Amino acid sequence: MRVSTVTMFEQSVSSMNRQQNDFMKVGQQIASGRRVVNPSDDPQAASRAVGVAQSKAVTQQHMDARVSARNSLSQEESILNSVSDAIASAKTLMIQASSDTLSDVDRQSIASELRGIYETVIGQANATDGNGRYLFGGYQDSSPPYVREADGSVSYVGDNNVREQRIDSSRLLPVTDNGNKIFASVPSGAKYITEMGDNQGSLIVTGPTVVDSSDPGYGQQYRIEFSGDGEDATYTVETFDTATQQWVALDPAEDYQDVDYVAGEQIRFGGLSLTLNGTAADGDGFTLGRATQMEPNLFRTFENALAVLEQPAETPQQKAALRNTLNTSMRELDNSLDNVLTVRASVGARLNEIDVVDSVGGNRMLNYEQTLSDLIDLDYAEAISEYSLRQVGLQAAQKAFVDIQGMSLFDRL
Amino acid sequence: MSIFSIGLSGLNAAQNALNTTSNNISNVYTPGYNRELTLLGEGGGAGGVKVNDIQRQFNQYVADQLNASTSSSSALKAYQGQISQIDNLLADRDAGLAPLMQNFFSAMEDLAGSPSDPAARQGVLGAADTLSAQFRSFDRYLDDMQRGVNGQIRDEVTQINNLTDQIAGLNKEIALARARTGQAPNSLLNQRDEAIADLSKRMNVRVNIQDGKTYNISLPNGQPLVSGTNQFDLEAIESANDPQRMVLGYRDGNGSVSQLNEGAVTGGTLGGLMTFRAETLDKTQNQIGQLAVSLAAGFNEQHRLGQDLNGEQGEDLFSIGQPQAYRNERNNSAVEIAEARFGDLDDLRATDYTVRVTDGGAPAFEVVRKDNGRVVDHAFDPGTNELSFGGVVIGFDGAGFENGDRFEVQPVRRAGASMETQISDLDKIAAASFVETDGDMAIGRLSAAPGALQNIDGDGFELTLDENGVLSFNDGTGVEVLRNGEVMNDGDPIVAGDTLTVDGVSFTVSELPAAGQETSLTLSAAPPGTGNNRNALAMQGLQDVSLVGGTSSVSQAYGSMVSDVGNRTNIVQVNLDAQQGLTDQLRAVQQSESGVNLDEEAANLIRYQQYYQANARVIDIGSSLLDTILGLRA
Repeated sequence: MRVSTVTMFEQSVSSMNRQQNDFMKVGQQIASGRRVVNPSDDPQAASRAVGVAQSKAVTQQHMDARVSARNSLSQEESILNSVSDAIASAKTLMIQASSDTLSDVDRQSIASELRGIYETVIGQANATDGNGRYLFGGYQDSSPPYVREADGSVSYVGDNNVREQRIDSSRLLPVTDNGNKIFASVPSGAKYITEMGDNQGSLIVTGPTVVDSSDPGYGQQYRIEFSGDGEDATYTVETFDTATQQWVALDPAEDYQDVDYVAGEQIRFGGLSLTLNGTAADGDGFTLGRATQMEPNLFRTFENALAVLEQPAETPQQKAALRNTLNTSMRELDNSLDNVLTVRASVGARLNEIDVVDSVGGNRMLNYEQTLSDLIDLDYAEAISEYSLRQVGLQAAQKAFVDIQGMSLFDRL
Repeated sequence: MSIFSIGLSGLNAAQNALNTTSNNISNVYTPGYNRELTLLGEGGGAGGVKVNDIQRQFNQYVADQLNASTSSSSALKAYQGQISQIDNLLADRDAGLAPLMQNFFSAMEDLAGSPSDPAARQGVLGAADTLSAQFRSFDRYLDDMQRGVNGQIRDEVTQINNLTDQIAGLNKEIALARARTGQAPNSLLNQRDEAIADLSKRMNVRVNIQDGKTYNISLPNGQPLVSGTNQFDLEAIESANDPQRMVLGYRDGNGSVSQLNEGAVTGGTLGGLMTFRAETLDKTQNQIGQLAVSLAAGFNEQHRLGQDLNGEQGEDLFSIGQPQAYRNERNNSAVEIAEARFGDLDDLRATDYTVRVTDGGAPAFEVVRKDNGRVVDHAFDPGTNELSFGGVVIGFDGAGFENGDRFEVQPVRRAGASMETQISDLDKIAAASFVETDGDMAIGRLSAAPGALQNIDGDGFELTLDENGVLSFNDGTGVEVLRNGEVMNDGDPIVAGDTLTVDGVSFTVSELPAAGQETSLTLSAAPPGTGNNRNALAMQGLQDVSLVGGTSSVSQAYGSMVSDVGNRTNIVQVNLDAQQGLTDQLRAVQQSESGVNLDEEAANLIRYQQYYQANARVIDIGSSLLDTILGLRA
């Protein structure tokens, strides 16, 4: 075939162009470290990379969420730790205070120590996180959840919500617990608690102890009311019917209605047994129920105990109140401690879960990074050998151009 | 015939041949030049040589093929030049849309972590601002490309008119020259063929050679551009159905301009630009717009379900552009578009629509998707004069339609242009939940209008539903319950899929309770709480929700756009390489016939120089012969 001079020129130039282009492309890949610089370099890889990068970003979000969740939970854990210590020391103090040998002054000093613990627990309950948000107020985290009323008692103004964070694609983890759950709850299996009425007599309740938890009446709430004073006192045991929301008398009537009161006698009902001592006055009485039914509240426990410890116990009535209150308070403290430990265990479990999810998430992150790198990153060894190859190609094209342009018959004329 | 005249004819022929050769040499790099050969023939009976013709080496068949091929490759080149700009736009991994959307969602995660922290709130606003600015900048970039295409079309049309004008002029000159000398001058023919080749680079045309002399040129659809010595202009005009769009108009002999179909020209730079615009640019713009609308609407909806730090219902987080709709200026009726707004966003697609009135009286419409030509379902409400389809609602200002009226609807084309963050006050971010639903009724698609839940008190509003769909809600507060927009009475039945609205809160009932069972739902406004992060969590969760067209998440939609543009760029590049190879090959074939080879010409120079010298020698010998004869007498 005839080859025109223009063709020779054009072909050499276009082959140089092509070589140069390829050379530049490899150069660009090496400089950027990426095999896929533009989506058109590998459309499938580029669009998959968008998906993988999104998954990676989501994983990163969950990782960030875990950091702040871990922060809140560790803080909560350490607070619960000191709260449980406080409850344990309060219990010790109450055992001391229960001793009959103590004078009013001794009780006063125990009371002031107990008050210190009470204040500490309030302080812990109003703890804030690193951002100054209150930890235990539920969603109401901008003001202290426990506020002091005019009468010196504290009440909860937070709500029953729990803030959650998404620590994994399908896991919303509660990152705190609200005050109610920590300070005003008991574990579901908690013991019976006695709550004395405003008694005029010197009735002291010992127990109740569980004698038969398979009794059909076990677990109900009971009320015992006295009528008649001193020797003539009789009592009636009633149970709370949750269906009708009313107190109803127990059967049979001869065992539970208007029974003559004998001090020191054991009374049995609903699988429980308790012993009553002291004298009863007309209208005296008390309620007993599972701790869950008795509106548990750690602060109320403290306040009740402080109230009896801080006033002198002189009359039999006051002594009875002291004994009864301390008994109940100690049971309540046990329940509270159990509750705080339960919450703490759940916090620990959540922290563990975070650790597990963390290591899974870390692996996943690594996977995504690997995938992303496989999709769009450059294989340097390959690229550099390609680079040298293109260099040789370009040099060859240049040489060919020079040679062809240098060959002309006119030079020989 | 004497030896002199024979020698002289040889000298003459050699001179001619040397002329041709030197002309070839001097024009070796002249574009459009076809090499010439001196064709020699024997002289008449008296002997000697004569120059039969200075022949132009031109092969019409190869030239036609080359022109067609050039047309295709320059179309692809123009397409590639444009699409690679979009390809580059999407290549940026740090400032592209995907990372900014990720930043935005991760700012939501921070907000969920500390819902009332000003730093986290500022982070959300900052990320929202950056994201919406990036949407605007993408939109502007693509819109600039639209304008660029418009401008280039105008330039190309000017060039094309120049060329057709030249060709008509050359047709005339060539005819004149032929009439004068019986033969056309090679240079004029070269110029005309070169003009055709030039024209082919700009658009694909049909060339018809009349009587082997005159070139008639017409558009692919047959409309003439050059007919003998007459030339007809193309014009760049605004499209009748979209004033933003430059299209081709054809000015016929009567001077009236008719709009050409956008697919009329496919080859050459012009065709490449038009194809790029119709195939890629429009689609990419629509995809970005759809993404912007879906994201903004999804967030606004979720944000309205939330509560801000002041205890108020969340406002819209983003503002977004409305659909664009144009009346075709050639419509017979004067009905104008009064309003275009978004409807059900799940039906929103990244395409434009043409609405055609099939019956002006009824009125009846036909709505066609422009990307795939399919007819889509629509609903017309004669009461409000509103036509709804594909996620948009078009309101007309009257009902006097005429058959054949057309309207162009671009639901999302420029939606990103006005995407902005509506909120600048940190407190206004609704991280807390506002609309609380409680109960076992199976509901979906919960949304709240602005000003919702003003009439429901703290206890909430309770609805109960039985197996037969009987809905009871009599709570004595006088709050109305709307079923699909109609007020309903206590105890009225509903069916699954109905939309109920209670005090501004709407939801669909996804299924009725099982036989013998009752389900209930209590709607209430959540009390304010600074630690409430539920709406922030829900907004963060939108990254996994199929917001775009009801089928894909925002990131998936972006990924499919990247894949779409990447694939198309790739295909165009591959096609261009192949077509360019073909063109190069044809060019080599054409050159091998018509191109000048300097070595060959050098050889010719030597040859014809010797030829000349030999003929001169003949005369010399002839003269010495004569001298010999004359010398005999002496």
